[in-house]
Amino acid sequence: MRARSLTDLVLLVFVVLFFVFMLAPILIVVLISFTSASFAAFPIPGWSLRWFARIFEYQPFIDALLVSFTLAIVATLLSCVIGIPASLYLARARAGWANAVSTFLLSPLSMPMIVIGFASLFFLSQIGIGVSFTALVITHTVVCLPYVLRTVTAVYRSIPPSYEEAARILGASPLVTFREVTLPLIRSGIAAGCLFSFLTSFDNLPVSYFFGSSQTNTLPVVMLSYMEHQFDPSIAALSTLQLLLAVGALIVADRVYGIHKMTVAT
Amino acid sequence: MATAVDKTKSRLGARGLRGLLLIGPAVLFLVAFFVLPLFDNAMRSFATADGQGFTLARYVQLLTDRFYLGVTLETVVLSTVVTLICAAIGYPVAYFLVRKAGRWSGLVIFLLIAPLLTSIIMRTFGWQVLFARRGLVNNLLVQELGWLERPLQIMNTPAIAIIGLVHVLVPFMVLSIATVLQGIDRRLEESAQILGAGRWRTFREVTLPLSADGIGTGAILVFMIANGSFVTLVLLGGGFQTLPLFIYQQFNTTRDFSMASAMSTVLLVIALACLYLQLRLVRRQGGS
Repeated sequence: MRARSLTDLVLLVFVVLFFVFMLAPILIVVLISFTSASFAAFPIPGWSLRWFARIFEYQPFIDALLVSFTLAIVATLLSCVIGIPASLYLARARAGWANAVSTFLLSPLSMPMIVIGFASLFFLSQIGIGVSFTALVITHTVVCLPYVLRTVTAVYRSIPPSYEEAARILGASPLVTFREVTLPLIRSGIAAGCLFSFLTSFDNLPVSYFFGSSQTNTLPVVMLSYMEHQFDPSIAALSTLQLLLAVGALIVADRVYGIHKMTVAT
Repeated sequence: MATAVDKTKSRLGARGLRGLLLIGPAVLFLVAFFVLPLFDNAMRSFATADGQGFTLARYVQLLTDRFYLGVTLETVVLSTVVTLICAAIGYPVAYFLVRKAGRWSGLVIFLLIAPLLTSIIMRTFGWQVLFARRGLVNNLLVQELGWLERPLQIMNTPAIAIIGLVHVLVPFMVLSIATVLQGIDRRLEESAQILGAGRWRTFREVTLPLSADGIGTGAILVFMIANGSFVTLVLLGGGFQTLPLFIYQQFNTTRDFSMASAMSTVLLVIALACLYLQLRLVRRQGGS
C-alpha cells in the first residue's frame, strides 16, 4: 500500500473516506448502545450496559427475538432440504434446460421483496394459511433458497467428479459415496449457504412486515414499530447484539471457508 | 445390440428420473409459493371491482394519469441516480481493492462485507444520531466549531434518502467491479504503457473499457435492488413518491389493494427486464 505517486495518494485518501462513510453510522450505533444516558445522543456522559438489560426486560423484544431465531433456523433447514439436492443436480448438468432451471430457482433474488411479501399475503390467505408462522416460514424459504442453492452449486461445481467416480469404481454404493465423499466435500458450501440464509431471514423486514401479528412479529418488525414511538438506545443495543452475532458467524465461516471464496460465490 | 440400446435408454430414463427427483421439490416449491402468488397478484390487478370482469383501467390510469406516471418515473429516476453515484464511488474503491490493497485486501473485503451484515434499522438509527437537528454533526458545526449559525436540516431531505440508499447498495457495486477487474490481463495494460501511453491514458483506454462489464453487472444489480427498496425511504423520509412506497401506503392507509397489485406488477416487469439484461451480460462474459 505504498503511495508511489500523487494519484495513488489521492486514491488512498478517497478509499479511507469511503470507509469512514461506510462505517460511521454503524460504529456510532455501537457506541450509543453502551451509553448510560436515557437518550441516543452525543456526547456520551458515561458507559453502562443498561440498554442491553432493557432488551431482556421488554417482553415484545424477547418474543420477537424467539420468533426470528426459530424462523431463520426453520427456513434455512427447509431451504437446505429442497435446495441441496437441486444444487447437486444442477452443478453437474450440462443440458440447456438445466441452465433455465437454475435461473428460475435463483430468480427470487431479483424480485422486489415488497412485491413478494404483498403478493404472498393475499395468496396464502386465500389458501387458508393466512398470517401465521407457517406463512412466514414459506415466504422466508422463497427468499432464502437462492442463497443455499448458489453457494452449494458453486462449491460442488468446483469439485472434480473424479472423486465420486473413484469411490463408485471401488465399490461404494451411491448412498455411501454421497455420505462419505460428496457431503464432506461440499460441507463448506452448505455452511456458507446456511449462514447467508440465516442472516437474510433474521434481517428481513420487507417480507415479514406484511405478516405482522402478536404471534408472528419478527425482530425487525418490532424494532421498526418501537422506533416509530421512541428513540432510545435500546434499539442501538439490539442492533449491536445482532451485528455481533453476524460478525461472529462470518468469522467462523471464514475459518472454514475463506472470505475471498465467499465473495466469488455470491 | 438391441439390448445395449435398451440399456442406454433405460439408463437415460433413470438419470432423468433421478434429476427430476433432485430438482423437483425446489421447483415445485417455488412454483407454488413464488410464481402462483405473483400470478394471482397480477390477476387481481386486472379484475373489476366486483371480481367478475376484466379491466385494464388501473394500467390505463398508471400509464396515462400524470400523477401515477410521475410516481413510476420518480422510481426509475431515483434508482438511476443512486446507481450512477454507486458506480462513481464504487469504481475507485474496487480499483484500490484489486490493484493497490495487496496484503490488506482481506481487511478491505471484510470492511465491505461488514455493513452488509447490519440491518437497515441499525443504519437508519446511525444516520439519525449523526444528522438529526441536535445530532453529532450539527453539534460539531454549530457549537464546537461555530461554523454555522443554525443547525442544518438533513434528516427528511431527499439527500439523506439518497445517502442511505447508496450506503446500502455501494458494496454490491464494488464487489461486481472488483470481480471483473481481477480478471483483466495485466499484460494488456503493460503493452499500452510500453507503446507509450501514459498511466491515465492506459486507464481510460484499456482498463476502463475492459471493466465495463463489471460496471454493467453492478449497475443492474444496484438498480434492481434500489427499485424495490422502501424501508430506507420510509425511515429516512425525503418526500419521494416511488412505487414501493405507494404499495406500502396503499396497504397501510388507502387499502386499495387492486391498485397496489397493479403497481407491484409494474415493479415486477421492471425487475424482469433487469433480470433479462443481467442474464445477457453474464452470458456474454461467459462467452468471451
